[in-house]
Amino acid sequence: MPQVKIVARNFMDMVASLPTMKLDMLYDNSFICEAILRSLPPLAKKYVLQLLYIDKPISAKTMEEWVLPDGFSKHKVAIDRLIQLRVMTETYDRKKEATYQLNPKFQFNLQKHIVHGGVLPREPMPSNITVRLPSLEELEAYAAEQWEERGVDSADLIAFLLELSFHVTGKAYNINTLTDLQRSIIRDLSDLGLVKLQQGRKEGWFIPTKLATNLSISLADTTSRKQIISFLQQNAHPRVAERIPSVPENVTDQIRLWESDLNRVEMMPAHLYDEFPSKDVFEAACDFAREYGAFLWEDSKRMRLIVKADILNEMKEFLRRQKQ
Amino acid sequence: MTPVSSKLYADDVSLLMVLIDTNPYFWSSMNNNTSFTFSKFLSHVLAFLNSILLLNQMNQVVVIASGYNSCDYVFDSSTSSMQRAECLLEKLEDFVDKDESLSREESVDGVGFSLLSGSLSMALCYIQRVFRSGPLHPQPRILCLHGSPDGPGQYVAVMNSIFSAQRSMVPIDSCVIGSQHSAFLQQASYITGGVYLKPQVSDGLFQYLSTVFATDLHSRGFLQLPRPVGVDFRASCFCHKNTIDMGYICSVCLSIFCKHHKKCSTCGSNFGEARKQDPSASDQRR
Repeated sequence: MPQVKIVARNFMDMVASLPTMKLDMLYDNSFICEAILRSLPPLAKKYVLQLLYIDKPISAKTMEEWVLPDGFSKHKVAIDRLIQLRVMTETYDRKKEATYQLNPKFQFNLQKHIVHGGVLPREPMPSNITVRLPSLEELEAYAAEQWEERGVDSADLIAFLLELSFHVTGKAYNINTLTDLQRSIIRDLSDLGLVKLQQGRKEGWFIPTKLATNLSISLADTTSRKQIISFLQQNAHPRVAERIPSVPENVTDQIRLWESDLNRVEMMPAHLYDEFPSKDVFEAACDFAREYGAFLWEDSKRMRLIVKADILNEMKEFLRRQKQ
Repeated sequence: MTPVSSKLYADDVSLLMVLIDTNPYFWSSMNNNTSFTFSKFLSHVLAFLNSILLLNQMNQVVVIASGYNSCDYVFDSSTSSMQRAECLLEKLEDFVDKDESLSREESVDGVGFSLLSGSLSMALCYIQRVFRSGPLHPQPRILCLHGSPDGPGQYVAVMNSIFSAQRSMVPIDSCVIGSQHSAFLQQASYITGGVYLKPQVSDGLFQYLSTVFATDLHSRGFLQLPRPVGVDFRASCFCHKNTIDMGYICSVCLSIFCKHHKKCSTCGSNFGEARKQDPSASDQRR
């Protein structure tokens, strides 16, 4: 087994790198299915939800119709991620077209969750037994102090970590509810700062820190108007931040106008063709580009033509034939 | 610098305010004409709430019930324990009992209508409180699961809520479960950039909710969602609450009237005499 380092951001990459058999075994555990779902990019989560009650394979073409042209790259990323994690399987139908279907175990576990709601892996202990629990701030300081990277190599650890992320930060959970294996891991996790261990007179308990409960949070990186505005809000001078709204409306309006102006123009790579030998060749070239759906603009007086870059080779070939 | 905790609020973290129509008069009419009962509706809604909370642990869902005499918060995922269904159903039962016990004569429009304006205002107040809690918060949106007809007496209040939502960049999604379209909600979704949908098959409500209304605001930039086919932009007059195509508008405060008045009932401005036979010449058309 390869040595892996636990870095929260790459945790799901680690899960994705597990062999097929191990991954399928992990999906027996409903907490893992939920954690995996939460780790997915927003679009991928959305697809899983949309397919949750669909038992037949769905064609790749149909799914492509769900997205706007702008979202195509995000769509690709989402589909790739779903296949990589075996949340979705890809098969080819008789016409050799790609179709997708949710992993049945994954699907069943999530259906169960949606009907019955979430269930905690275990109940918090009553406060009269645990007496003095650390405050959330104390717990965070402890986690930061304890956090370090460390080599581990077990699918069981992954399962336990994902299960941990469904506990409530700051609550105490009885160690007796853990399996022997989990109990042997929990000491290491406390060294890593994911949980804090405490011992009462009779019983021991563990308290998950933020590090444990935030394992499955994902991030995406696109810039949009909303993000610019929220960046301004988050980084406002304290005196400005007290005002409501912290970013003045004329500024947000201006950003909105700027964004709609960006969307007014669509950019695409293209080529300009001019100096055609004759009107006939020029018109034939225009028609040729139109046939390919790549025609963008023409100026028939000066015989100039702009065509999408996609068919550069086809255009070259066509113009070469015209010369002969 | 951006504090570490802001990373917790990824683009798709949502605060979803769900407004559910509990008007017993509407639901009994649904019961008579279709097989879609209030309890079936609730099971679809609960599954939907569970799925929103499943998608991201930072997501928050608040449910507001719109009755025919009152409205109230019946569920808040940030304060409820894991037994969501039990929590919601218990509060909802209390609400329905209380709503029925209130005097019917005092309801704004009468028993056939739900207090949409009230629950919209409550949702917006809740969102304002979240906005003011600090610079970090989930992306709010409102979803109206509404079936009762539009209450004409609530026109002004509903429009004010819509403009307030527009100003705070809060989209209002509408899922109309009754047999008729709602002009109020068509305008609400259109103006605020939300989605308006009247499902063809009520029994498949969950699929509509998960396909369309579960979409977070970030992903809406990349997905095909239902677009408005036609929006009924007609206004209601302030004097008789009638829906009108053409009428009189106060040039000072923009109040709308179906008949010529001597004085504006809203701002008190004195109007000149209307020219006989030709109302559109002296007053603006709306």
